[in-house]
Amino acid sequence: MTDPSSPAPSTASNESWREWLLTAEPHSRNQARLGRAYVTWRRFSENRLAVTGLLIIVALVLVAIFADLLAPHSATVGDLAGARLLPPGSPGFLLGTDDQGRDILSRLLVGSRITLAVVALVAIIAAPVGLLIGTVSGFAGGYVDAVLMRVTDIFLAFPKLILALAFVAALGPGIENAVIAIALTSWPPYARLARAETLGVRNSDYIAAVHLMGASPARIVIRHIMPMCLSSLIVRVTLDMAGIILTAAGLGFLGLGAQPPLPEWGTMIASGRRFILDQWWVATMPGIAILIVSLGFNLLGDGLRDALDPRGAGR
Amino acid sequence: MNMPILGKHLRYLSAGAAVAVFFALSGPSFAATPADTLVEGFAIDDIISLDPGEAFELSTAEVTGNSYSLLVRLDLDDTTQVKADIADSWTVSDDGLTYTFKLKPELKFASGNPITADDVVFSVERLIKMDKSPAFLFGQFGLTGDNVTEKVKAIDPLTVSFTVDKPYATSFVLNVLTSTAGAVLDKKLVMEHAKAVTPSDEYKWDTDFGNDWLKTNSAGSGPFKVVTWKANEAVVLERNDEYFGEAAKMKRVIYRHMKESAGQRLALENGDIDVARNLEPGDFEAATANPDLATISAPKGTVYYISLNQKNPNLSKPEVIEAFKYLVDYDAIGATLIKGIGEIHQSFLPKGQLGSIDDKPYTFDVVKAKDLLAKAGLADGFTVSMDTRNTQPVTGIAENFQQTLAQAGVKLEIIPGDGKQTLTKYRARQHDMYIGQWGSDYFDPNSNAETFTANPDNSDEGKVKTLAWRNAWDPKDLDAETKAALLEKDSAKRAAMYQDLQRKVLESGPFVVIYQQIEVAAYSSKLKGFKLGPSYDTNLVAPISKE
Repeated sequence: MTDPSSPAPSTASNESWREWLLTAEPHSRNQARLGRAYVTWRRFSENRLAVTGLLIIVALVLVAIFADLLAPHSATVGDLAGARLLPPGSPGFLLGTDDQGRDILSRLLVGSRITLAVVALVAIIAAPVGLLIGTVSGFAGGYVDAVLMRVTDIFLAFPKLILALAFVAALGPGIENAVIAIALTSWPPYARLARAETLGVRNSDYIAAVHLMGASPARIVIRHIMPMCLSSLIVRVTLDMAGIILTAAGLGFLGLGAQPPLPEWGTMIASGRRFILDQWWVATMPGIAILIVSLGFNLLGDGLRDALDPRGAGR
Repeated sequence: MNMPILGKHLRYLSAGAAVAVFFALSGPSFAATPADTLVEGFAIDDIISLDPGEAFELSTAEVTGNSYSLLVRLDLDDTTQVKADIADSWTVSDDGLTYTFKLKPELKFASGNPITADDVVFSVERLIKMDKSPAFLFGQFGLTGDNVTEKVKAIDPLTVSFTVDKPYATSFVLNVLTSTAGAVLDKKLVMEHAKAVTPSDEYKWDTDFGNDWLKTNSAGSGPFKVVTWKANEAVVLERNDEYFGEAAKMKRVIYRHMKESAGQRLALENGDIDVARNLEPGDFEAATANPDLATISAPKGTVYYISLNQKNPNLSKPEVIEAFKYLVDYDAIGATLIKGIGEIHQSFLPKGQLGSIDDKPYTFDVVKAKDLLAKAGLADGFTVSMDTRNTQPVTGIAENFQQTLAQAGVKLEIIPGDGKQTLTKYRARQHDMYIGQWGSDYFDPNSNAETFTANPDNSDEGKVKTLAWRNAWDPKDLDAETKAALLEKDSAKRAAMYQDLQRKVLESGPFVVIYQQIEVAAYSSKLKGFKLGPSYDTNLVAPISKE
């Protein structure tokens, strides 16, 4: 019975799959992990709102991947003379056109790439930085902790958007700089979170055991502490994504994010606000897009929090 | 038993009343500009300084035009003539070199100080010695920091003599005197606020001539005086009760900085402002249809152009310059982005000035442009940046130009900035391309001809900072031709010379002139006497009254 695959039912029905996944006595580590993931998924999928959020995000990813195929027109080249400021529902322009005669739908579709890229890049940069600083700080304690946490305090002392504005102003406007600026301003909460989690586990028996076996501090932090922080970090990052989108859109709106002709949603709102009285759709459509995607990330984050929360595991 | 309940009710009641009062106080106020104050919504982010010896911006010209008097002024009824302002009369010597002005007696500055010949001399001397942007206007008469005190002299307290270096056409000299650089400053008041400066090689004088103070104040004798200027916020003018002409009807004029056309329109419709000055085509149309508002439009001596810095090796190729002229979608821009606020115009002299031509040799033609780029060895295109002020319609045109350039494989990066940022960079010759406007400094063809075609010293240290210089363009023979046109006394011949200059710049100059501005304004129908002049410094607010 040591072969992990042997108890797996090869031809059996769904019922036995579930039994195998939910068994109280897993036969292998993989079986236990899969069982755990299955339980989490069950808990997540019970939450309809969370599933809605997930669907929105999946749709966003698909749209971003296939934007070129989906977009009916060019996102950057418009027909100034022939198709300027057409209302939604005009033939060929489902959501209308903007002041340069560009199709708003196409711009929104292609713009989803920028939004997704910003969110992904910020998450990739900020989350590991925060995780590393937080776990090292929490595990090492003493001076290291004090210094790292004071640096974190300094960053936390500034309002996020103002600090991002300052960074962009120094680095020069542009989408790359906007990403860097947002990442620089969003790691401190992750560091705090990771430190708190680390403090919770650093004195537990399993860490002491690993320590006795001669593991180096680096190994303990990376292999045995970071995984414990991951679930809460994922939840936090997902919940923050809506904020990241709004910050990026805010920078774009102020002319410090994406530069024309990039169809970044915030920039689109900024250029559409001139027509808000007579051609409401130019600013409204990207606004709705931002709303939907932010909502999607928030719902997903909420669902993940409920599903990943170990205290709710026994429910 | 009833008392506590009553008390409770009373508490709710009073709380409710407090809330109601709060909302009543903080709610929107209706139609609120005071009867003695004119409030204009105006994009004034280009103002760098209010000092007439330094300022060279369009919004500032309007402030200067209303707060300073000049020796002579443009006659708005016939713009080919000038009329007296503080000068009573003037004579020109037979050799055409010396101009003698007699001042009107017993005039006073806003400060109460008398206006004397000494003040006129001081104003010119200060302009030349400070050597800021507008100094070249008088510098072109051969005035320098070293000789200005000999060339411009007070003969007696009410007589000034002014000697020029060449026998220019009289109308040209007088026209230059009508520019804002000719503003007469209150010497006593200015020098009270002057700061000591340590002379250096660049600046040989031991005083700043009150430049620092005048940046935010005025020392003139116009119908208004400056109360305050707050950058990107407001300019406040107050009636000058010492003014020698007809007193202004309004006690106060406030230019409120409002960048957005939609914002100006909303504020105008709600009565928060009396005049909206920067309306875009859509909003202007809406204002025209509104019975409570009146609209006005006047062609301005202002042309909008894109310029190519010749320091950039790609942009200095003649084929590239020509190709870019084929890459502007003139027709589409004329029909949409500037509809009602400008008309397509490709030569550098605005319509209405002597010698202006209406040639439009360029149309949007990608194929031709591609051929030209291929000839220049740039068939694969290149990347170039353009500094763009963050206002419409300039941004819209820039974005459209970006698209049309892309069709020929040229990638345009738009660098947005406010007026101050882009202008400062442009004047330091650090741009690749620039999109902006040029407003004539005085109503004479030489103003535009000189700025587009004169560049005697194309080095970074060049003193004559014309548009040709800013774009590091060496106009070769055109420089001499412009100077010759200036001395031509025969009007018909002079006109022909300017026509020739325009055609040459059209052909090879690094300027893509796109359109001539039609300035529009919408204003509350309560206003009487609102007019727009042919230039910004002739947008006079003194005759405006409110019902």
